[in-house]
Amino acid sequence: MGELRKLSFAYGGLLTLLGLTVGSSFLDLGGFNSAINLAIAAAKTAVIALLFMHLTSKGLPRLVVAAVGLWLVILFGLTLVGQ
Amino acid sequence: MSSQTQSIAFDNASREKAADTLAMWLFIGSEAMLFGAIFLVFLIAHINYGAPFAAASKRLSLPLGTLNTAILITSSFTMALAHMYSAGGRWRAAIWSLAATSLLGLGFLAVKAVEYSKEFSEGLAPVLGAPFSYNGPDPVHAEFFFGLYFAMTFLHALHLIAGILAIAGVLALWSHANPAGRARRIQAVGLYWHFVDIVWVFLFPILYLINRG
Repeated sequence: MGELRKLSFAYGGLLTLLGLTVGSSFLDLGGFNSAINLAIAAAKTAVIALLFMHLTSKGLPRLVVAAVGLWLVILFGLTLVGQ
Repeated sequence: MSSQTQSIAFDNASREKAADTLAMWLFIGSEAMLFGAIFLVFLIAHINYGAPFAAASKRLSLPLGTLNTAILITSSFTMALAHMYSAGGRWRAAIWSLAATSLLGLGFLAVKAVEYSKEFSEGLAPVLGAPFSYNGPDPVHAEFFFGLYFAMTFLHALHLIAGILAIAGVLALWSHANPAGRARRIQAVGLYWHFVDIVWVFLFPILYLINRG
C-alpha cells in the first residue's frame, strides 16, 4: 500500500499549502504576499504533477512539459520586458 | 480483436500506452498555452491597475473560493485513487473513485453558481448585458477586473464540465472496454482532470488573494 500512502501524503500536503496561502493573505507583507501566493501555487503544481500525474517517470511527457514551460517563459518574458 | 492492443497501429500494449500518454500531455500543453496567455493578460492588467484590482478582489467571497479549492483538490485525490485502483485491477473501487470525482466536480460547479448569482445580484457581473454598479474606487478598472474574473472562471468551469462528461463517458462505455483500455482511459481523463485542478490552483490566489492584509 505504498502508493496509497504516497497519494494521501500528497493530498494532506496540498490542503496544508491551501491553508498557508489563505492564512498568509491576511498578513500585510507588501509585495511579499503575491510572491508567497505564487510560490505556494508552484509548490501545489509540483505536488500534483509529480505525485498525481506521475511525471516522476522519465520520458517524452517531461520533454513536453519543459517545452511548454520554455514557451511560457518566452511569452511572459518578452511581454514584461516591454512593460 | 487483439487482446494485446486496442488499435492495430501498435505492436504491443506498452507502445500504445506510451503514445496515449504523450498525446494527452501534448493536448495539456496546448491548454497550458491557452490559459497561460489569459493569465498574462491578467498579470499586465494587475501591474497597471493594482489598487482598483485589489479593492475589487475583496468583493469576491474568500470562504466560498477556499471551499471550492479544497473541493477540487479532493477531487484530484479521488481521481488519483481511481488511477491507482485501475492499475491494480480493483475495478469496483475504481468506479467508486470516478463517481466521487465527478460528484466533487459537480459540487465545485454548484458553489461557483452560488458565487455567480451573488455577484449578479450585487451588480458585480459586467457580462451578458447585466447592469454593473460598483461604489468603490475607479469603477472602470474594477469592471475590467470582474470581466477578467468571469472570463477566466467561466472558461475554467467549461473545462471542468468537459472533465465531468469525460468521466461519464468512461463509465458509460465501461463494459465495452477491456481492462487495459479502461486503465488507459482512466489515465487520460485523470491527466486532464489534474490539469484543470492546476489551473484553479493559480486562479484562486490571483483572483481571491490580492492584498487582503
